[in-house]
Amino acid sequence: MKRKYNVFWQALLLAITFLVFGLYLGITLEQGRITEINDYYIQSEISLIDIMALDNLVETDFLTCEKLRSVNIALLDRVYEEAVLLDEYESAGRITENIKSLHRKYDVLRGYLWINSIKIKDQCSSDFDTLVYFYNYEEEELNKKAEQNVWSKVLYEIKEEKGDDVLLIPIAVDTGLESVNSLVESYNITQFPSIIVNEEVVFEELVEKGVILDLLN
Amino acid sequence: MDFLTGIFLVYSFIAFYFLFLFVLIYFQNRKEIQKVPPITKNYDISVVITCYNEADTIGKAIDNLAANGYSGLKKIVVVDDCSKDNSWEIIQKYEKKYPDLVMGVQTPKGTGCAAGAKNYGSKFVNTELIAFSDGDSFPEKGSIEKTIGFFDDKKVGAVTSTVLVKNRTNLLLKLQAIEYIVIKFTRKLLEFIGSIYVTPGPLAIYRRSAFEKIGKFDAKNLTEDIEITWRLLYNGYDVKMSVPSKVYSVAPHTFKGWFRQRIRWNKGGVQTMIKYGGSFFRRGMLGAFVLPFFVFSWFLGVFGLGVLIYRLAKAFIVRYLLTTYSVKAHAAILTLKDFNLVPSILIYMGLVLFTLSLTFSLIALLSIREKKEFKRPGVFIFLVYEFFYLLTYPVILVVSAWELLRGRKTWS
Repeated sequence: MKRKYNVFWQALLLAITFLVFGLYLGITLEQGRITEINDYYIQSEISLIDIMALDNLVETDFLTCEKLRSVNIALLDRVYEEAVLLDEYESAGRITENIKSLHRKYDVLRGYLWINSIKIKDQCSSDFDTLVYFYNYEEEELNKKAEQNVWSKVLYEIKEEKGDDVLLIPIAVDTGLESVNSLVESYNITQFPSIIVNEEVVFEELVEKGVILDLLN
Repeated sequence: MDFLTGIFLVYSFIAFYFLFLFVLIYFQNRKEIQKVPPITKNYDISVVITCYNEADTIGKAIDNLAANGYSGLKKIVVVDDCSKDNSWEIIQKYEKKYPDLVMGVQTPKGTGCAAGAKNYGSKFVNTELIAFSDGDSFPEKGSIEKTIGFFDDKKVGAVTSTVLVKNRTNLLLKLQAIEYIVIKFTRKLLEFIGSIYVTPGPLAIYRRSAFEKIGKFDAKNLTEDIEITWRLLYNGYDVKMSVPSKVYSVAPHTFKGWFRQRIRWNKGGVQTMIKYGGSFFRRGMLGAFVLPFFVFSWFLGVFGLGVLIYRLAKAFIVRYLLTTYSVKAHAAILTLKDFNLVPSILIYMGLVLFTLSLTFSLIALLSIREKKEFKRPGVFIFLVYEFFYLLTYPVILVVSAWELLRGRKTWS
């Protein structure tokens, strides 16, 4: 019987084809997710510009503070939901790195919306609460990673409980964004993760959900 | 792409390669698998059966071989390796039962290994072919005859047969029954690329001139049946497998016995790899495929287990910390958010690989025609085999490597 050694090359060719096809599928899948998030981001960006336009109208009779507040909250809520989706896609993303830059874009957006919320609070004496959560995006230390995970769980529970009355703004601090760095410095925060409740109280260590709830309106 | 993803992709590629290799070999040769060359010459043959404390089975094993049906069977040499039970008395009884066929011999002092007993028994053989079997193995009627035709090819040094589990009374034995079938199937496929790496003890037939020329079994090796096959390849001989030639063997029925057997197989495998380490890319298929395949599988198994342990340890620590922090913050310990339901490409690849390996095992299972008393394994046993049994392989690899390392201190 004649041996067929060509089978080694055939198997190699098939394995390469499968791997390349798998990688191609993976990249397509991940690009599709990035495109989806990008589309959301563009919508959010349009809404942001809309809010900026509304900001200019706040001192006129055409716009009520209530309107401005509700638009701001609606956008921040949407951005928060998109951030959750982004996180899910990010942890499922294995091949491409593009999603990281999307994360940075969202951090800038959230930072801006936070500043805008502070302005709205000042201008309109609004009574909504803000919870700003600073964390490290590329945290390697397991202890900190676990702490961040529990923080986000606590904040998620608060958001679920309080709904529109609370604005939850998670911002990554290690993405090299100047605006974010300035915000962090302004509150003299040195440890992460940390929480700022209503721009007044800073928690640099994990606390019970009740402690935060007590500080909210 | 992170490091672990890279590793996963490399593993996937290797797994794809070997799966495709076997699947292609199967589809290109499926009509040849059951074929046996016709007998053109009635080669004389003697069978050496080794026995150590096998009083329960040795008599049946001799009866079985005596009734094997091959007219060229000249002698059955039964070697008692100084058993502590009454094996020797039984052998003597069978010598009287088959005076012209059975010859009982006892090693002067226990050799302590199958190779020693086999070599001792081979001294009493002068036929063209020499077969070896165990005291707890039962070659099926006609099994010898179905191997004879292969020896017409002068390059063939040995012919191996299909080894199956005889006793299938508990879960472990049923799992081994599947494993033996898959191994048998893979071994036959390897024949088509000249890479059979073992002639298992339950029934292996050698051309005596080749057997003696290469220096018989290596008594220092824990798996003399692997070592001698590699030596045959090293010396330019071909090794064939006769699928229709079946032998039923008693497999370990306790976990401890099974574990010890596997450790011995793996340690013997490593000993053989070390012995032939210098043959990389030399000596035909031994250096081109068998040796790299063994070394690669061994390295990947150990490294893969290391990565798995690292991942599990990390997950355990994170889970512990999460629980501690969750208790501290009065937050839920486990929520739906903890499970990412968005699948990654690695999951898809894993699924494809798993499906391919499942298909391969199924083809192997369906390829065997067994006696009616042995039913095909059920779905449950098959799934346990695929999901759990196969996972024990890397663990056995690591334990055997560890034992070998510790043992090597005393060898020096």
